[in-house]
Amino acid sequence: MDSRDLLSMCSGTLRANKMRSTLSMLGIAIGVASVVLLTSIGEGTRVYILNEFSQFGTNVLMINPGKAETSGIPGAMSGTTRKLTLDDAVAVERLPHVDAIVPLTVALARVETLGRGRSVVIYGVTPSLPDVWKFEIGQGEFLNNTDPRRSSPVAVLGPKVKRELFGDENALGKMIRIADTRLRVIGIMAPKGHSLGFDLDDAVYIPVALAMRMFNMEELSEIDVTFAHGGLVDIVEEEVRELLTDRHRGHEDFTITTQAAMLDVFGKVINGITLAVSFIAGISLLVGAVGIFTMMWISVGERVSEIGLMMAVGATREQVQRIFLLEAILLTTLGGAVGAAAGVAMALGLLAFLPSLPIEIPIDFLFIALAMSVVTGIASGVAPARRAAGLEPVEALHTD
Amino acid sequence: MRPEDTFGYAMTALIQQPRRAGLSLLGVVIGVVAVIFLTALGEGARLYVTEQFQTLGTDVIVVIPGRTETTGMMPGFTGTPNDLTLDDAEALLRRIPEAIRIAPISMGNETVSYGNKSRQVVVLGSTPAFFDLRGITVARGTGLPEGDIDRGANVAVLGMETADELFAEENPVGKSVRIGEWRIRVIGVNGPRGTHLGQNLDQVSLVPVATGMRMFNRTSLFRIMIQVRPGSDVEEVKRKIEAVILDRHNEVDVTCMTPDSVVSSLSAIVSTLTLVLVGIAAISLSVAGIGIMNVMLVAVSERRAEIGLLKAIGASHRQVLLIFLMESLLISTAGALVGLGVGYATINLVTWLYPAMPAEAPLWAVASVLVLSVFAGVFFGVLPARRAMRLDPIIALSSKG
Repeated sequence: MDSRDLLSMCSGTLRANKMRSTLSMLGIAIGVASVVLLTSIGEGTRVYILNEFSQFGTNVLMINPGKAETSGIPGAMSGTTRKLTLDDAVAVERLPHVDAIVPLTVALARVETLGRGRSVVIYGVTPSLPDVWKFEIGQGEFLNNTDPRRSSPVAVLGPKVKRELFGDENALGKMIRIADTRLRVIGIMAPKGHSLGFDLDDAVYIPVALAMRMFNMEELSEIDVTFAHGGLVDIVEEEVRELLTDRHRGHEDFTITTQAAMLDVFGKVINGITLAVSFIAGISLLVGAVGIFTMMWISVGERVSEIGLMMAVGATREQVQRIFLLEAILLTTLGGAVGAAAGVAMALGLLAFLPSLPIEIPIDFLFIALAMSVVTGIASGVAPARRAAGLEPVEALHTD
Repeated sequence: MRPEDTFGYAMTALIQQPRRAGLSLLGVVIGVVAVIFLTALGEGARLYVTEQFQTLGTDVIVVIPGRTETTGMMPGFTGTPNDLTLDDAEALLRRIPEAIRIAPISMGNETVSYGNKSRQVVVLGSTPAFFDLRGITVARGTGLPEGDIDRGANVAVLGMETADELFAEENPVGKSVRIGEWRIRVIGVNGPRGTHLGQNLDQVSLVPVATGMRMFNRTSLFRIMIQVRPGSDVEEVKRKIEAVILDRHNEVDVTCMTPDSVVSSLSAIVSTLTLVLVGIAAISLSVAGIGIMNVMLVAVSERRAEIGLLKAIGASHRQVLLIFLMESLLISTAGALVGLGVGYATINLVTWLYPAMPAEAPLWAVASVLVLSVFAGVFFGVLPARRAMRLDPIIALSSKG
């Protein structure tokens, strides 16, 4: 009996019991479809977040004050005794491999024009921000004073703030008021949209030194550092660490985060969640396998005399076992294929209706799902197949 | 045929095929266990979150510097035009009749050292009221000194773990430690409190609020916790707080939060997550239902002669239908009950192994999983039962079986 005969025999049996086979496959298909759909959503979320981060490039690292040792959060929210200062930032900029830096402070304040006002995020930054953050200027110009320690009273508005405060009017050259300081609007950013939940269009950018004076801050929230290419990351990280530790009298009271490290952490978290959810969805697959096991067991019982006949005409026990095992594998694989197709179809359907949903079909996972179906088939088919192979031909033939 | 006869008949049929019945039941059991266990974990997480905030009491308002209309940016982590100062805190206590106690808080990260041992900890500057609000007890020595909040004595109350690690067997009370560049006298040690609101309170060091601000060179408080008189209208007090701040800062540049509002939004998030996961797990119940349907279809075709005989001796369509429906119903209900048992056993095992992990299956989950299983039994039993009902008795009787 060659494998082609085996296959046609099995598919013949499955076809003869159409209803039964369909239902058995349906169980597996539902399981595989839900696993595929959920991993698609998980993978989509991962890709979305990675894209959000990697738009800044791999040649970026961030320095935050405070060491994330006990509290888990670097000290941006809390104080440290040795501050991360503008002088630190300037020193970092002078390092040999560093291209550009953005010292950053964040404040919440009300921006006012004649009669209108809005409470928004005020970023204290330097002229290199558009390059480092890959932002585009919509109108006018960005901050242009190259010395980060100088503070001219100018501001660049995010497009949403501009709309809220000035409507369709021209805002360039107009004065705004933040924390009792009058600032001249010199530019409007191009729309950037939301990034990781932060509305970057609803913000105002002012010189960092001015922000520190206006909001009475002695410390930067962050220094973003860029360098020529991603390969330099380890060198630059080490240089920065040495320099700042030295400047802070031997204390490493800051945290350096590289793009790669951050992507790594996020990727791991999301993969973990996806895995857990897929596992829960995979319970359906287990139940489906139990169903197939039941049906195969019944089927062996019904076909005792057929098995006896096969053995009587010379089929070996091994061949009998293979026939039943193949039947189970055929059921689960077909079910798995149908389920994978249905899962992909659902994912694409969702995407068609809600294009904003992060959905990405992991192609390699489709193969994993199919492989899982085959394994399910083997797991649920082995015992019934062994039962069939263990029958005594003479007795089996007698059974009616 | 009386209902109990239908029951008995279906029962006998199932018992005659114990393996088959058992396997069909197993599918339901797996599904029910998954649903019960996941709801228990989800509900446990929700209770944990709620409990964390409830120790703050419903009569506490937290004032955070900064206010925003933008999404995403949380106030309290950024600079603001006007500092939230100790004077603001005192003004709030003085001018709001409902405020009975305040705990202004300053915060920082610093190294605490004693002898040659040192440890990086969170240093919280506050007042004695902080101990009550966060449920911290004093195990040794005294708590933070009462009196003028502007006076920052160089004293500290160490967290239990920090004290143990720095002093080991020694008594820390009365000794001097170094916090950053400051020499501070230890006046007390906290009792164990564990992690509360995401902060391990056994590892913090508490200092007077003015000391904390001086230490970290801060002009603004991290936040102010205000305890109001029980029974006061919290919303009304919030408005009064904003009015006081408006008066002092010329704008409302603070955000008032109540533990209540945080709890309800957090618990809504956790509940939604739980529901989604449970929904995914419940898919397995439908797969189990399909399994039951398959087995019942086999049973109907195997028992054609029996069905023919039943009809021949006068069983009505309805009676035949009921017999087979009863069988699938019995499988699914028994599966659900066994599943509940196994589910509860798993939950007990988990809480026994990890006592810190709260897990508790809520009643609504138990009820809905029972209803769902019964429904699955009926839903997936209808097709096979109708097939049995429609059999022509003569053909059925004459068929081999």
